Amino acid sequence: MLAIWDGAGSIRLLGLLLQGTITTLQIFLLTLLLSLPLGLVIALGRISTHKWISSPLKLFILIMRGTPLLLQLIFVYFAPSYMLPEGLSFRIPRFTAAIIAFTLNYAAYFAEIYRGGIQSIPRGQYEAAAVLGFTKTQTFLRIILPQVIKRILPPISNEVITLVKDTALVQILGISELFRVAKNESSRIFSTTPLFVAGLFYLFMNWIVTKTFHNAEKKLGYYK
Amino acid sequence: MQILKVENLFKGFDELEVVNGVSFQIQQGEVVGVIGPSGSGKSTLLRCLTLLEKIEHGRIVVAGETMVETSPQGQVVYAPEEKLRKIRLRLGMVFQNFNLFPHFTVLRNITEAPILVGGISPEEAEATALQLLKKIGLQEKATAYPYQLSGGQCQRVAIARAMAMKPDILFFDEPTSALDPELTGEVLKVIRTLAVERMTMMVVTHEMSFAREVADRVIFMDNGQIIEEGPPQQIFENPSNERTRSFLQNYNLSFRA
Ligand SMILES: Nc1ncnc2c1ncn2[C@@H]1O[C@H](COP(=O)(O)OP(=O)(O)OP(=O)(O)O)[C@@H](O)[C@H]1O
Ligand SMILES: [Mg+2]
Repeated sequence: MLAIWDGAGSIRLLGLLLQGTITTLQIFLLTLLLSLPLGLVIALGRISTHKWISSPLKLFILIMRGTPLLLQLIFVYFAPSYMLPEGLSFRIPRFTAAIIAFTLNYAAYFAEIYRGGIQSIPRGQYEAAAVLGFTKTQTFLRIILPQVIKRILPPISNEVITLVKDTALVQILGISELFRVAKNESSRIFSTTPLFVAGLFYLFMNWIVTKTFHNAEKKLGYYK
Repeated sequence: MQILKVENLFKGFDELEVVNGVSFQIQQGEVVGVIGPSGSGKSTLLRCLTLLEKIEHGRIVVAGETMVETSPQGQVVYAPEEKLRKIRLRLGMVFQNFNLFPHFTVLRNITEAPILVGGISPEEAEATALQLLKKIGLQEKATAYPYQLSGGQCQRVAIARAMAMKPDILFFDEPTSALDPELTGEVLKVIRTLAVERMTMMVVTHEMSFAREVADRVIFMDNGQIIEEGPPQQIFENPSNERTRSFLQNYNLSFRA
């Protein structure tokens, strides 16, 4: 495997992997940025007592969680050009397709986490706020949501860690993220080294994710 | 001045009628104790009065303003949103389980609503809150969080939180039922202080001796109806109704046992 230390080769490999990492991080951050708020909106709709809001969202969540993310990536990328009638059909850029699929998929998971968190807050909190004259929005933003966030940090951190690794799936669309870059380099030099180094890269990213969530949990640990 | 007037109030859940035609009035400065067996509709009545439940029939007037009434056709009509908001501010509620906001300090639990809802400046709200904390003997707990307090302390803070909104009437739903017996005294003492200051209050309680001592008037409820009401001496010493008598008798028996 690792033959002799090859300075120039190592630097070349690191450069390649770092480039792939930038793409990986772009997918990771964009997905988080979009799916965290979208998940909250979906959760609120899912909780709604209006069936015409909650039922479609229930189905949406079922599909997003019940089918492979890989398949969803392919679907989002190909559907507009294959399923729409001629004239209306169009192509989405690969990267955009990847972000859409990831955002929808992760929003579904986050929505269920939010929902669990929101429903775990005792009814008395809403009632105390109502009697004090808070509006529904004030109650949600000032009383409920802060408590929800504290409760859902651990399950959210699980999902975020999974997201770091799931970004490797976008290679199915031919996007050169970290894993694909490493794989190509592996076949080129007939060595598994690039793949294992990429593994270390993922580990490092998730070490940062873990630390970040740990700090956040500590910060919110000032009350019980 | 009349603070609360309730006429022919009905409230049920599905098939179950829980409040069955209740009427009464409360004058400013009056302390009304509400007693009655479990399931007689005491909590539901308070929840209707504080807008936590929608009524099915009847009329509620708060300080001369109609909060809700029923048309001759039987349609229940609540006041428009804006008016309802104003009326709501006249009503305070203290819950059995305190329902303090766990992520706020004691001080912020008390100041949040006056600032956000009452439109009072943070400085003024804080000054008022500190005064209230002094009154309930918890000024050194201003920066503590609810989880750091005993149940009795939590309930005293909950009372201060309600008082900070300067309500015209304060409702209590069994304010000491969730407390260890040795902690009920400190909460009852705070309520007693408010009574001395002529705060208008309606207190649902299982503490008969407290009702007897503090209330100006006692209401006995059973099966969603007011069976009997009157001064404590009359209700406790000389109840005119058979049901009141047997309730108090059972109560005394179980208390002695
Ligand atoms: N949200 C609800 N849905 C259905 N039934 C309810 C609801 N709230 C109360 N009830 C029923 O209404 C009846 C009266 O309840 P309520 O809590 O008003 O009695 P209470 O006099 O406060 O009793 P306690 O002394 O035990 O507190 C009970 O039979 C209860 O089960
Ligand atoms: Mg009750």
